[in-house]
Amino acid sequence: MMPQLTNMLAPWQWALLGAVPPAIIALYFLKLKREPLEVPSTYLWHKSIEDLHVNSIWQRLRRSLLLLLQLLLIALLIMVLLKPSLQGTVFNQNRLIFLVDNSASMGATDVEPTRLDVAKQRVHELINQMGSNDVAMIVSFSDSARVEQMFTDNRGELRRRLDAIKPTDKPTVISEALRVASVLANPGRSATDMRTDTAVAEAQPAEMFFFSDGNFVDDPEFSLGNLSVAKPVWIGTQDPRNVAIAAFSTARSETNADKLQAFARIENSGLTDASLDVELLLDGNVIDADKVTIPAGKSSGVKFDLEQITSGVLELRLIVDDHLAVDNHAWSVVHTPRKGRVLLVTPGNEPLQMALRTERALETADVMLKSPEFLTTADYKTQSAAAAWDLIIYDRCRPEAMPQANTIFIGALPAGEQWSELEKVNVPAIIDVNRAHPLMQWIDLSDVLIIEAKPLVAPAGSTSLVDSTEGALLAVGPREGFEDVVLGFELVGADKIGTNWPVRPSFPVFVLNALGYLGGNRESQGAGVIQPGRPVALRPDSEAEQLQIVPPHDAEPVDVSRGKHGVFHFAGTGQVGIYEVLEGSKEIDHFAVNLFDARESAIHIKPERALKIGHVETESAADWHEARRDTWKLVLLGALAILVFEWYIYNRRAYL
Amino acid sequence: MSTDAIPLLSPELLAQLERLELVSRKIFRGRIKGERRSLRKGQSVEFADFRPYVPGDDLRFVDWNTYARLDRLFLKLFMEEEDLHFYCLIDASESMNFGTPTKLDFARQLAAALGFIGLIRSDRVKIETLGQPASQPGATWRGRASVWRMLDHLQNIKPGETTSLAQGIKNFCLRNSGRGIVVLISDLMDKQGYDEAFRYLTAQRMDPYIVHVLSEEEVEPDIKGDLKLVDSEDGDVTEITASGPLFKRYKQNLNAFVGGAQEFCARRGMAYLFARSSQPVDQLVSGYLRKRGLIK
Repeated sequence: MMPQLTNMLAPWQWALLGAVPPAIIALYFLKLKREPLEVPSTYLWHKSIEDLHVNSIWQRLRRSLLLLLQLLLIALLIMVLLKPSLQGTVFNQNRLIFLVDNSASMGATDVEPTRLDVAKQRVHELINQMGSNDVAMIVSFSDSARVEQMFTDNRGELRRRLDAIKPTDKPTVISEALRVASVLANPGRSATDMRTDTAVAEAQPAEMFFFSDGNFVDDPEFSLGNLSVAKPVWIGTQDPRNVAIAAFSTARSETNADKLQAFARIENSGLTDASLDVELLLDGNVIDADKVTIPAGKSSGVKFDLEQITSGVLELRLIVDDHLAVDNHAWSVVHTPRKGRVLLVTPGNEPLQMALRTERALETADVMLKSPEFLTTADYKTQSAAAAWDLIIYDRCRPEAMPQANTIFIGALPAGEQWSELEKVNVPAIIDVNRAHPLMQWIDLSDVLIIEAKPLVAPAGSTSLVDSTEGALLAVGPREGFEDVVLGFELVGADKIGTNWPVRPSFPVFVLNALGYLGGNRESQGAGVIQPGRPVALRPDSEAEQLQIVPPHDAEPVDVSRGKHGVFHFAGTGQVGIYEVLEGSKEIDHFAVNLFDARESAIHIKPERALKIGHVETESAADWHEARRDTWKLVLLGALAILVFEWYIYNRRAYL
Repeated sequence: MSTDAIPLLSPELLAQLERLELVSRKIFRGRIKGERRSLRKGQSVEFADFRPYVPGDDLRFVDWNTYARLDRLFLKLFMEEEDLHFYCLIDASESMNFGTPTKLDFARQLAAALGFIGLIRSDRVKIETLGQPASQPGATWRGRASVWRMLDHLQNIKPGETTSLAQGIKNFCLRNSGRGIVVLISDLMDKQGYDEAFRYLTAQRMDPYIVHVLSEEEVEPDIKGDLKLVDSEDGDVTEITASGPLFKRYKQNLNAFVGGAQEFCARRGMAYLFARSSQPVDQLVSGYLRKRGLIK
């Protein structure tokens, strides 16, 4: 980290300056205007001078401290004239915004002690180099952003707030951090959604400094406006070791529903092959273990066949020495199996009813069959609002209001304006099935024909499950913690057969998937993935109005009140681990928060990665520099000190 | 520097000097009977001191008993004589006109004190300067009555003589062929050196005392900065820059200079005495010179 002097002079100016010291030496040898002094005899002086003359000129120079001091003085004065400053991180503005990434990947220990600590250290350095006119603001960000300190010139306060930034296990999303940072720089645009902005005044340009490992997706939508971005230096190394659990879930065995299977996908994002032990723990006790070898950059699956487990907390643990610890553990909560409560509202649908009567379906759910008239009864309204069912299947009918339950609509649209459909099309060809979705597992629709259908226009956030040449035929959309599945064609028409799907093997499988995924049964298998920072909607089988949630790592319990629609919302999932749900002092439930973020786990940095915000692309810098600081005052002080010293020596001959 | 400002002899010093007398380490034959015992009149040799034998010494005075005991040759000294010739030779060159008091003042005071001792003991006293030509013998004084004349003569010695040390001593030797005690008071600052000059003295078979006087400024120079040193005698210019190494070197040279003179004198049986011009004369006379045996 060699700071370089800013070259402010042309070569001839350098040459001119360079000629000054030799000139001084030359002057030193020229006759000085000496004060005459009469002495009794120059006999001894002459002799002494001659003795000194015997020594070489260089020895004289070497011994002449005064000359050296003069040369040093001149050198320093020349430096002062150059207005020296160290090149490096240059504060282009006097308003600085320090954006400190405290996401999960910043906990990596490939730089000592952790990336976050190094980031804080860098910020400390910059705070130290702030001028008297500079004000700074500190924002920490992971998947959300937090203003740690508003603009202030109080360095002590900045340091204190900086030190208070804690690591999180959350993924990284840069957009919110940018919005927070732009509050004051671009007031007109961002004031509406910023609680911190009290009085929108004139735009105040600011410079942003990123302290991150670059492990996030750029925000091409954001407009910097009055903000400028300093060249970021990504914190971390290019070849850290990390093995991560990318997924961990449990499922009932296909052949024996009593048996539980645990699946995990383990990724090695390091540059070397990893060989490690994987341990599976139930309630803290090791119940199984495996050994896997994963080539560099690849992933590997692990499967555990478990004996009969009714409930408990499964923990998967990687015994590996890598640089990121947070993704070496994953948890899954196994609940006591509970049958889903399903309401089928249909004018009559024999294939569907048959599919709901299969042996597996009966094991999975209790199905209540009602006709569409039931939807108008007060009984339905009360029960649907009280979440009496886990899943309601509306076949060719629609309720007036959406129930507190997951739904499947067949040949109809959910209530409200969010969903719509296109014109009816004939024989749409299925071109894609989203097999990644749990609803579509083991589903093959290549032999399915659809006579006519109305392609769906799903609301934002929805996932299309079956795409045809004409549009989506099956889609799933979220709604206040529930999910609505809409089928864009009728299974059985009133007068004709609309599709051959019900007689294909894939149909009962789909129904079973739906029962498992939407019918409440999935909760019992802990299939839901909660990532750190994501809110959780809890629907416990409890009448209590208030629950306590105990985060992992012995954190303080948090009280959660029952919210709208009887759901408990909890957002404090900042840490991975098992969260206990207490009713009073009774433990009624658990849920697991896992990282499962391939991007956070891939912790190797790309030093040359440019930061793209909006249309502005900022190149990254290779290394940290000390911030620019004018040093000429110090140099001048040094020159003065030398001058005083020289004067002292000249007068006192206090000589070496 | 005014010479009148400094009294050559203070009453206190005079009182002190009254009790002293000049002593020679050699036996000189006096011309007139004085207050001294004669060697020839009786064998009551008043023994005073031993001195290491130097080649050229008279073998008759070797103390053979000591030789037998120590296996080294010593001379028995200090036979007294009736009438002592006391010469005082003052270097009145320009370089003596430095110091506080000046070296010349010091020389005059010392000469006055010694001359006074000689006069009151009826010794033959002659005070000359180096610049005195060979053909111009100076006055000789004797007896207490001549004190004022001697002092008057001393007062009239002015600095600025340009005769070199060697030439001055040579002239002195030419003028005064007799034996006796000769006290040379000089700063020895002669660029030709003092060797030749001293050789004249030893050849004269006199009993020479060299009082080497230097001023404080010469012993502890207190000068600063870049200077052009001008020699007061020949106008020679030496440019110096006051610096630690230079002062160190100067001190070394000064020590070598003084040490060299001392050794030179010791080798040739001359008494050497180093003095600073600031030193009080009475102290020198009553203390140091007594110890060295010039007076008792």
